[in-house]
Amino acid sequence: MGLVKADGKPAATSKPSPRKYTRDLTGLLAELNDQQPKARRWAARDLVAYGEEAVGALCERLRTEPEPSVREALFDALLAIGGDAVVEGLIPLLRGEDAGLRNGAVEVLGQLPEAVGPRMEVLLADPNPDVRLFGLDILRDLPHPEAPRWLMGVLEQDPHVNVVTVALDRLAEVGTPEMTPAVRAVKDRFPDEPFVAFAVDTALDRILGGE
Amino acid sequence: MARAAATQPRCGELHITDAEFDRFRDFFYRKTGIRFEDSKRYFVDKRLIQRIEGTGHRGFRDYFAFMRFQASGEEFQELVNLMTVNETYFFREEYQLRCMVSDLLGEVLHYKRAGETVRIWSMPCSTGEEPYSIALYLLEYWDLIDRVDVEIVASDIDTRALERAKQGLFSKRSVSHLPRWILGKYFEPAPGGYHRLCDDLRASVNFRRINLCDLNETKGMRNFDLIFCRNLLIYFDEASQRLAVQTLYDALNPGGFVLLGHSESMSRITSVFKVRRFRDAVVYQRSA
Amino acid sequence: MRRALIVDDAVTVRLYHRKILEEAGFQVEEAENGVEALEKALVTPYDLLLVDVNMPKMDGYTLLREVRSTPELEGVPAIMISTESEKHDREHAYRVGANLYLVKPVRPEAFRLLAALMARNGESR
Repeated sequence: MGLVKADGKPAATSKPSPRKYTRDLTGLLAELNDQQPKARRWAARDLVAYGEEAVGALCERLRTEPEPSVREALFDALLAIGGDAVVEGLIPLLRGEDAGLRNGAVEVLGQLPEAVGPRMEVLLADPNPDVRLFGLDILRDLPHPEAPRWLMGVLEQDPHVNVVTVALDRLAEVGTPEMTPAVRAVKDRFPDEPFVAFAVDTALDRILGGE
Repeated sequence: MARAAATQPRCGELHITDAEFDRFRDFFYRKTGIRFEDSKRYFVDKRLIQRIEGTGHRGFRDYFAFMRFQASGEEFQELVNLMTVNETYFFREEYQLRCMVSDLLGEVLHYKRAGETVRIWSMPCSTGEEPYSIALYLLEYWDLIDRVDVEIVASDIDTRALERAKQGLFSKRSVSHLPRWILGKYFEPAPGGYHRLCDDLRASVNFRRINLCDLNETKGMRNFDLIFCRNLLIYFDEASQRLAVQTLYDALNPGGFVLLGHSESMSRITSVFKVRRFRDAVVYQRSA
Repeated sequence: MRRALIVDDAVTVRLYHRKILEEAGFQVEEAENGVEALEKALVTPYDLLLVDVNMPKMDGYTLLREVRSTPELEGVPAIMISTESEKHDREHAYRVGANLYLVKPVRPEAFRLLAALMARNGESR
């Protein structure tokens, strides 16, 4: 008893369950619906190797997957694959009922600037303000040169107070001095809303560095 | 929110205004979960100015925009390195070792079969202070060590650090937090003011070179009950963090625990672990 | 002094709600998402939680479900503050354990009053 070393003993085997499935696309797609969460996690991870071919099945599984650890593996796999098919598969989740799925999709989309970029203007013009808010969440860390221009568009045109104040919140972090007239002008669009005044003042203070 | 101007360092023309400090502080908090109090103002300003000058920017505004939009994220990581102090010594963050013996191992034994080995992974182990501290703590502060087998695996990506860990030679500073009697019991003096760890202890830890972000290297790491992963994830970019926590999750037995460094949190990386609070520490558990 | 935890990923919202709650006599702390809120709430006993819906890593509904199923936290009063005003959003919030559902942006006077009414008195600890 006490401190022991497992020298000589081989490390535990990598795949925990006996191989019920072949490790090709057909086998992995079947394993994605296995009873065991562990098996589904491994299927998601291994499906990354199949790229776009696996995207449809991974997105489909997300809609019904109850287990958080498998959900994360599915999102991670989609992020690793990336590209247009992933973005097309994830955007519909933003309209879903499940807040966990919506926010998971936002996080992945926010890291796929090239594929998300061309769809940003459509998202920010969606008739549903909640979808526009998700657009702003995606934009938050999106390393894309157009990001400030999109934010300014929301600031100047979006009719919904919550969408505009979230744009102000983002500009408090990334805004530049030439944006200040547009930031100031928001107060006039929502004169009776104390939170708007507060958000404008906060953004101005941060953008101008308090000088 | 007024802060005394006298506490702000001035290097030539450069200084950080209150609003700039707030802008940086909120950004850093959002990304890392670390929130600087006003009392850290001098510390933060000094390092910001150092990087503004180091990158050849004219002032905070230009520098912040550069750092914030840099696609590689290198400058942000540079700031993380500067703003966090990472050093290793015996019994660092001892409250977690206390938590291990007073609460975590008890829960672990609850789900294990009688006679089964408890497995602990210490990573990154650097020059060995952490895994040896775990070993010392188990021997000296855990009553059940006489009745339970414990295996400690320690890994790092740096082979030179691993070599030094195996040699077991430690500086005065490295052992300065150890109780004197433990130092006397397990170490002997070595030339140059160093302390040499006894052979039994050195032989009790299994050192391996592993890159946490390489799936092929981590596939064999399974069935652990505790993982110490302190002061590592904070230095990873987002993609590597995601990959690393999945690896930690798979390496744990259901019901096993992860311990992070005191300024680190899973909250910016994942919700896959259950947050557990014990008397001495907040830790993360893989659900049973 | 009564303690409140604001859980929201927008710094402007946190600052605004902080200002209102401090005027109402609360001592205020902040969390950026549900996981951080759990980390903090397990360490500090709060008298009131103010919870946004859409946040990274852990959303507000999931947070409230966790809070209500954690023995140390199950009794904390929680106000959910959302941008979503549909009937089913409201129902969902109450189903997972919200004590009150408000739609953003909050009106300062009403918010101050409701927070003061909903919070535990701070002396029960």
